[in-house]
Amino acid sequence: MSKKLLLAASVAAILSTSPAIAADDVNLQTLQAEIQAMRNAYESKIEQLEQKVETLSAQQNKTAAKVAATEPAAGRSSIPATSERRINDNSFNPEIGVILNGQYQTFSEDSSEFAGFAVGEEAERGSEGFGIGETELNLSANVDNLFRGSATIALHEHEGKTEVEIEEAYVETTSLPYGLQAKAGRFFSELGYLNSHHSHADDFADRPLTNRAFLNGNYGDDGVQISAVLPTDIYSEIGGGVYRGDDFPGGGADGNDIGSWTAYGRVGGDIGDNTSWRLGLSTLQVEGGERSANEDMVVFDGDSGLYITDARAVYAPTGNNAEQEIILQGEYFYRDENGTYDDMDAGTGAVAYDDNQSGWYAQGVYKFHPKWRVGARYSQLYAGDVPAGLAGSALDDSDHNPWAATAMVDWTNSEFSRARVQFNREELSDGKEDDQFILQYVMSLGAHGAHAY
Amino acid sequence: MRKLLFLIAGLGVLLASPSSAFARMNVFACSPEWGALTKEIGGDLVDIKSATNAKQDVHHLRAKPSLLAAMRKADLVFCTGASLEIGWLPILIKKAGGPNVQPETIGWLMASDYVEKLDVMTEHVDRSMGHIHPEGNPHVHLDPRNISVLADIVTERLILIDSTNATTYQNNLKAFQAKWKTLIRKWEVNAQTLRGQKVVVYHNAWAYLLKWLGMGVIASLEPKPGIPPTVSHLETVLVRVQGKNVTAILVAPFENEKAAEWLSGKSGIPVVHMPFTVGGNEKSKDLPALFEETILLLKGSS
Repeated sequence: MSKKLLLAASVAAILSTSPAIAADDVNLQTLQAEIQAMRNAYESKIEQLEQKVETLSAQQNKTAAKVAATEPAAGRSSIPATSERRINDNSFNPEIGVILNGQYQTFSEDSSEFAGFAVGEEAERGSEGFGIGETELNLSANVDNLFRGSATIALHEHEGKTEVEIEEAYVETTSLPYGLQAKAGRFFSELGYLNSHHSHADDFADRPLTNRAFLNGNYGDDGVQISAVLPTDIYSEIGGGVYRGDDFPGGGADGNDIGSWTAYGRVGGDIGDNTSWRLGLSTLQVEGGERSANEDMVVFDGDSGLYITDARAVYAPTGNNAEQEIILQGEYFYRDENGTYDDMDAGTGAVAYDDNQSGWYAQGVYKFHPKWRVGARYSQLYAGDVPAGLAGSALDDSDHNPWAATAMVDWTNSEFSRARVQFNREELSDGKEDDQFILQYVMSLGAHGAHAY
Repeated sequence: MRKLLFLIAGLGVLLASPSSAFARMNVFACSPEWGALTKEIGGDLVDIKSATNAKQDVHHLRAKPSLLAAMRKADLVFCTGASLEIGWLPILIKKAGGPNVQPETIGWLMASDYVEKLDVMTEHVDRSMGHIHPEGNPHVHLDPRNISVLADIVTERLILIDSTNATTYQNNLKAFQAKWKTLIRKWEVNAQTLRGQKVVVYHNAWAYLLKWLGMGVIASLEPKPGIPPTVSHLETVLVRVQGKNVTAILVAPFENEKAAEWLSGKSGIPVVHMPFTVGGNEKSKDLPALFEETILLLKGSS
């Protein structure tokens, strides 16, 4: 448009100069003719230009129309394109896994108290009848090329209320050299065999007495753990961690200092093609902890050192565990405590305590068919000598060593589903034999679980 | 804090023995075929640790201690991928694998990333369909043309990791590819008669082999992938195969033969114990022998 104006202006300028060229008629006529010719020439040029402008704008409109016309078409054909994009977006989403877990259980005894031990909530046997146990939601993903993050949220019911618990929420390194790995956040420490595993992956419906009494199921605290797989032909690994010291057997951490620490070493390997094994030593040291147990009625204040040795061997004909295998596993626990115990139920007041307790379990599981396994387990605890001030309290074992014997059969349809029948006979306090019958299912949705050793 | 420092210092002392130049390259193979292929190219320059032998189901393995020790030393991790090793390989890599064997590095080689996969799921998938791999069928090694592709790739990796021996690797590759080409031609001629024949499989682990040979699967003993055979399913398989011309029931060394024997007894179709991978039977000592044996056994039953 502006081009047109410019041209018009210049033509007007030329034309306006024409009256200045005066003189005789002939001259005027020729001049007029010349001017007319010029005018014609310019007019035709302007016309041409106008046409050009018109065609240009027409073309522009056409392309605009074309774009407009093609856009809905692109929208239609982009259904796979957007869904493709959605897949890409998904691949950056964390892997999601849900563990669904339910059971029906019956007990023959009303109460179940550990003679000589004050225990945490998770050590209890659960409730009778139908129940959904713990529903676990796990989200995990690589953070970037160096880190992996994982969060496990457990939902469970306790005394009629739904409790949400952050079981684990940690980041770990994925690619450190020299076999090193670091983990930070809240996680189940490497401690013996069972502690670092989630209970849904266990071979039995409940944990052995040792892990219930000494670790309240799992020791999972906030802290940092470092491990190193050593450059040896036989597998060897060392590691350790420092923690806030808030989880059982710790407690009451004020957060000013490191409340507890762990260290472990283990070795393992293969014997021929058929057998693999692992042996470990580990310790958990809580310093100056204030641990509440037996529903906050018993408080231990002091230092608590736990030492665990664990052993595991897996045998499968030709090493092919898809068909058949035998797993033997055991752990021995020794706890040395120095501090005061206060049993508020028994009204003992804080009584000095410097003694040790111990316990062990041994179990075997035989997979005799790709879908079927049978297992047996025995566990036993030994309480410490009770000081006079604690006689008659929860710490007084009345000369009884708690024991539990277990038998189970389970059926595994696929890697993602398992159903189990288990029978326990427990005598946790003298003369109270508790026959327990447990029917359980454990199923996993989503992300493929790990085949940890 | 003091304890934390001790811990770090202690680890530092224990780990201050880095090995920079390799004497021999350490290759961690998830299954024997990839170990055997690396051996063809690397010869004596490589030390190979195969996580499984032919009698073990690669998928169901656990991250056992000996594998952590092997992964700790690995310069190259050569596996199948496509979720076949998903239960245990990530644990090993995370815990013991160094920075040079992480995913997307030169020390990380997943065979299924380099070949065209069969049975890729593009439609809706869920686990009611059994243990399927949406990425496609992972058992890619039984098509010898895939072996040829991976020979090139593994050579490239060996050179990238250990360039001083590049000429040896290249020469070994040239010799291998020349030999392999002739062998493939020979096998294809030999196996002409197998074209169009049908077999029963235990698990869909033979897709690549059967496609290469132009053979087909009429039924699987597993009702769904990864779900062990059931009596009711076997009965439907029996109905399906009866009266049909079925060449064989293929069973891998790590698969339960009972279901196959039952079907064989009822239908008269012979059970063929296939080597599946290197070391799967006495004669299958290396890759050429594996394919030689595979075709011989298939022809023997037809």
